[in-house]
Amino acid sequence: MKGKSRNKKIIVYFLMIVITVITVGPFLYTLFIALKSPSQGIYDGLLPTDPSLINFVDAFKKTDFMLYLWNTVIVTGIAVPLNLLFSSLAGYALARSNFKGRTLVLTLIISTMTVPFQLYMAPLFQIAGEMGLRNTHVGLTILQISTAFGIYFMRQAFLNIPKELEESAYMDGANPFQVWLKIAVPLVKPTIISLAIYTFTFTWGDYLWPLLNTTDSTMYTLSIALAQMSQNFDGGNLKLISAASILTTIPSLLIFIWLQKYFISGATDGAVKG
Amino acid sequence: MRESPSKITKNNMMKTLTPWLFLLPSLAILITFLIIPIIEAFRWSLLDYKIIADTSEFIGLANFRELFADEMFWKAFINTILFVLIVLPMNIFLPMVLASLVNQKIKAVGAFRVMYYVPVVTPIVVGALMWKMLYSQDGAMSRFLVSIGILDQPMNFLTNSTTALVAVAFITAWKGLGYYMIMYLANLQSIPNQLYESASIDGATSIQKFTKITMPMLVPSMTLVSILTIVNGLKVFEEIALTTNGGPAGATTTLVMYIYDKFMNLDVSIASAAGLVLLGLAIVGSLIQMKLTSKREEDLRA
Repeated sequence: MKGKSRNKKIIVYFLMIVITVITVGPFLYTLFIALKSPSQGIYDGLLPTDPSLINFVDAFKKTDFMLYLWNTVIVTGIAVPLNLLFSSLAGYALARSNFKGRTLVLTLIISTMTVPFQLYMAPLFQIAGEMGLRNTHVGLTILQISTAFGIYFMRQAFLNIPKELEESAYMDGANPFQVWLKIAVPLVKPTIISLAIYTFTFTWGDYLWPLLNTTDSTMYTLSIALAQMSQNFDGGNLKLISAASILTTIPSLLIFIWLQKYFISGATDGAVKG
Repeated sequence: MRESPSKITKNNMMKTLTPWLFLLPSLAILITFLIIPIIEAFRWSLLDYKIIADTSEFIGLANFRELFADEMFWKAFINTILFVLIVLPMNIFLPMVLASLVNQKIKAVGAFRVMYYVPVVTPIVVGALMWKMLYSQDGAMSRFLVSIGILDQPMNFLTNSTTALVAVAFITAWKGLGYYMIMYLANLQSIPNQLYESASIDGATSIQKFTKITMPMLVPSMTLVSILTIVNGLKVFEEIALTTNGGPAGATTTLVMYIYDKFMNLDVSIASAAGLVLLGLAIVGSLIQMKLTSKREEDLRA
C-alpha cells in the first residue's frame, strides 16, 4: 500500500515537471539564446557555451529601449489606478444600490464583454483621432481605464461581503462614498489586487490598439517596439530580440511573483465562498 | 421622528443620484470608447464609408453581399472555426489535468502553480516571438521531434500549411493553461471531501473517482472555460500576426486577420461587416455551448 502511494507520487511529480517544461521552457530557451555570445550560432546547441550579457547591453544601446520602457510604464501607471478606482466605484453601485436602470446598465456591461475588439477598432481609431488622442499616452490607456470585465469582477466581490458593517457605518452617519472607501474596499482587497494584476498584464502587453494608435516611433510601447524589431527575424537580430523579450517580461514576472500569494489564493477563496 | 418634507425630497434625490455618481466615470468612458464605436461599426457596415475623405453613402446590405462573394472571407471564416475547434479541447482538458495535479497536498505544489501561471502574465508579443523561434526549422521543437523519431527531418511548423494553424493554436492554449487552471482549481476545492471518502470506502480507483466524481462536478467550470475560449479564441490576433501573418497562402488567415487587412487597406465598411460576422459567431458559439452544457447538467441530475 505504501509503495503504491509512493509510485503515485512519482508519477504526479513527473507529470508536473513535464508540464513545467512546456510552460517555462520557452523562457529558458529564449534566455539561453539571449545569453549566447556573438561567436555562437543562435540554434547552435541549447546552452550558451560562453555566456555573455552583450545582447542585453545591445538592447539598450542599439534601440531606444529606455524610451519604450518609459512609455510602457507611463501607460500602465495611468491605466491600473484608474481602472481600480472607476471599476470599483461602478461595481459597488451595481452591487449595493437598487436603483432604476440597474438591470439595464448591468446587462449592457455584461453583453459588451462578448463583442470582439476587432469589430469596433476602426470607429474607435477615428474617435480617438478626433479627440486628439493619437500618439498620446492617454490615448493608449482608453481601453483599460474602465473595463466591463473590471466592473463585473468588482461587483461580484462586493456581493460576497456581508452588509452589516456597511449598515452600521451608515447608522454612525457616514455617507455612501465614505462607506465605499473605508468599509467595502478594504474587504475586497484580494479582488482589487487581482484586478490590478489583470490590468497591469493586459496594458503592459497590449499590442493591437497601440499598433493602431501609435504612428510616431517615439510613442512606441515595448510590445510595439519588439514587434517592429522582429520584422527582421534573422541571424544577427534574433539574439537582440531574445534579450529584449526577456527584459520586457521581467517586470510582469516580478509583479506576479510579488503578488502571486494574493492572486492565486484570492481567486480560489472567492469561488469557495460563492 | 418625522422629517420635514424638504429633507425627505433631498434624501430621496441623494438616494437616486448616488449610484449614478458612482457609475459616472465608468459610464462616460465605456460609452465614449466602447458603446459608440460598436454602434458606429453597425452603421458603417451599411455604408460605403471613406474614412480619409469622411464621406459616406448608404448602400444597405451591399457590403455583406460583397463579403459573402469573397473567397478569402470564406477561407477566413472556416479557419476561424477550425482554430476555435482546435483550441477548445486543449483548453477544456489540459487545465483540468493541471488543476487536479496541483490540488494535491504534496510538497512544492505552490511553486508548480506559479510556474504554470507564468505564460498568462507573459506579454503576448513575447510569447509569440518565443514560439516563433521554437517552431523554426532549426528550433527546439523540430530537433526534439526528430530525436524521438516522430519527424524524419527538421521542418518549420509555421511555414507548412498543414501544421501552421495547429502550431498557432497551441500558442493560444499555452498562454491560457494557467488562467483556466485557476478556474478549475477553485471549482475543485469546492467539491466536498465526503464524496471521495465514501467512494474510497466503496473501493473506487483514482481514475474512477476522477471520471465519476471530479469531472461531473467540474461541469460549471467547463462551461465557463468553453465560453471564454470561444469568445477569446475568435479574437486571437497577436499569435497569428506575429508568427505567420496569416500565411502560408492564407492557411492561418482568420476573420480577425481578414478584418485587420481590410482596415489597413482602409476598407472600413467591409471590415465592419466582417466584424459583425465575428460577433455573430461569438454569440452563436456561446449559446450553443450553454445549451449543450445545461443539457448535460440536467442529464447528470436525472
